[in-house]
Amino acid sequence: MAEDEIIIDSISKSFKQGSQTLEVIKEVSFNVSRGEFICIVGPSGCGKTTLLKMICGLEPPTLGRILIRGNPPNPKVHKFGVIFQEDSLMPWRNVMNNIKFGLEIRGMDEIKAKQIAEKYIEIVGLKGFENYYPHQLSGGMKKRVAIARALAIDPDLILMDEPFADLDAQTRSFMQKELFRIWSGLNKTIIFITHNVEEAVFLAQRVIIMTRRPSRVKAIIKIDLPHPRNRLSPPFISYREKILNMFHEEIWG
Amino acid sequence: MTLVNRRLIYSLLYYIISIATFLTLWEILVILLSNPYFPSPLSIFRAITRIAIFGDIDGYTLIQHIYASLERVMIGFFIAVITGVPLGLLIGIFPIVRALSIPVIEPIRFIPPIAWIPLAIILLVGMSRYAFIIWVGAFFPILLNTIAGVKRTSITLVQMAKTFGADRNQIIMKIIFPSSLPEVMTGLRVGLGVGWMCIVAAEMIGGDPIGLGRLIIKYANLIQTDVVVAGMISISLIGMCINYMILALEKRMFKWRVEVTT
Ligand SMILES: Nc1ncnc2c1ncn2[C@@H]1O[C@H](COP(=O)(O)OP(=O)(O)OP(=O)(O)O)[C@@H](O)[C@H]1O
Ligand SMILES: [Mg+2]
Repeated sequence: MAEDEIIIDSISKSFKQGSQTLEVIKEVSFNVSRGEFICIVGPSGCGKTTLLKMICGLEPPTLGRILIRGNPPNPKVHKFGVIFQEDSLMPWRNVMNNIKFGLEIRGMDEIKAKQIAEKYIEIVGLKGFENYYPHQLSGGMKKRVAIARALAIDPDLILMDEPFADLDAQTRSFMQKELFRIWSGLNKTIIFITHNVEEAVFLAQRVIIMTRRPSRVKAIIKIDLPHPRNRLSPPFISYREKILNMFHEEIWG
Repeated sequence: MTLVNRRLIYSLLYYIISIATFLTLWEILVILLSNPYFPSPLSIFRAITRIAIFGDIDGYTLIQHIYASLERVMIGFFIAVITGVPLGLLIGIFPIVRALSIPVIEPIRFIPPIAWIPLAIILLVGMSRYAFIIWVGAFFPILLNTIAGVKRTSITLVQMAKTFGADRNQIIMKIIFPSSLPEVMTGLRVGLGVGWMCIVAAEMIGGDPIGLGRLIIKYANLIQTDVVVAGMISISLIGMCINYMILALEKRMFKWRVEVTT
């Protein structure tokens, strides 16, 4: 097995709300290898987004530590490609300029940035929409712009927070295949959050199942299936059922 | 005929009916009152053409009055912009600036521009008198709208920029400023409008015999109400023009804001 890219070492996170403290994450530990595709599933409000924000250094853990290639997460050191759960496009920039944003921040010159952006516009299938503004795009197209923007900086680590949640079934399935193709071609480390167990089994090498709040790791399931995975094959279905059962235990108690 | 065309014609029709009815009622009121100081629409129209072509008692034409007033308003407004926008950004971004400046700014905000007139007469001379009164009117709408614009900036966008490694300067220049620009523009539009409306107050204390406010005051002293109202209408029409010009500019600049395009 490859070396550990990310070490998550018994982290806990609580939020203070006035006099109350909300314990969101409790003693979560797991490691991620370089080039691995990890899916995290868990009930709504259990702290998946919070976990993701800690991994990219936006939120400090209350206890414990996170190491990425031996250092605490720092966007100026590590190249993160984060796809947020909510809309994160700048409404005053068109598609092209949104995708160029990360390159611009990193100080790349105009011409080169444009070339790279064009390449990713092509990959996410938005050719011809370069000059559209976010309010002229569908929800799924916006998500694809965010994905292109994250990929364009050639990130070391891709963090995706339910990126396909608002896509229709066809686009969703298409984007899953595209993401898998991109991942297998570039061999990037991906941490992918989803509500959708089938999606997790389709994509991941390992699926991490979180408990209800205060959230712990309930189980880590290795998906030992070759790609491309067939959603109707008996082993696929048995993985899916197994994870779904654990998931439902957490939702219904 | 298309639907859009028909709607346009109807709204134009209503517009004409509205103005015509108003002027007719006014004319009737003039006849009923039969007060020689109550000006009729027709006498006001004659007053406007007279001042426009032959000038007032000092020989200044309407265009010269308008130009003088516009110049004064623009100077006061310009100072309000270069003070209000940066201060608004600083207050919006840095809680410490907010905490230190709001206790002073809030009470000052509730002093009306007119209440500053006596102080301005004593302390200021020349153009600075006009500029100051206009500045008092224009500054606060600009400041408050800029602060509101900064506050409206989406936290997700700031976080997004951070994950790409943006430093504080980049976050301010590339996220906070562009995202608050629509509110800043609203502040400029409202500020210029208020500044323009302060012109009469400002010209009450400026010594020069020129300017739309001055024109009104001169003819009020002569009890020639038709010219007084002519001056009032000139102020109103120019204020409206400025407002619509900036609105049109806002629509062009902020196409990305769905609210302004619909
Ligand atoms: N900044 C914050 N301040 C206070 N509480 C917070 C904050 N961020 C998140 N929380 C709380 O932490 C809990 C977990 O939130 P989080 O967004 O991580 O959930 P999630 O697992 O991503 O949910 P979903 O699947 O619905 O997106 C929630 O109860 C939320 O109210
Ligand atoms: Mg979430």
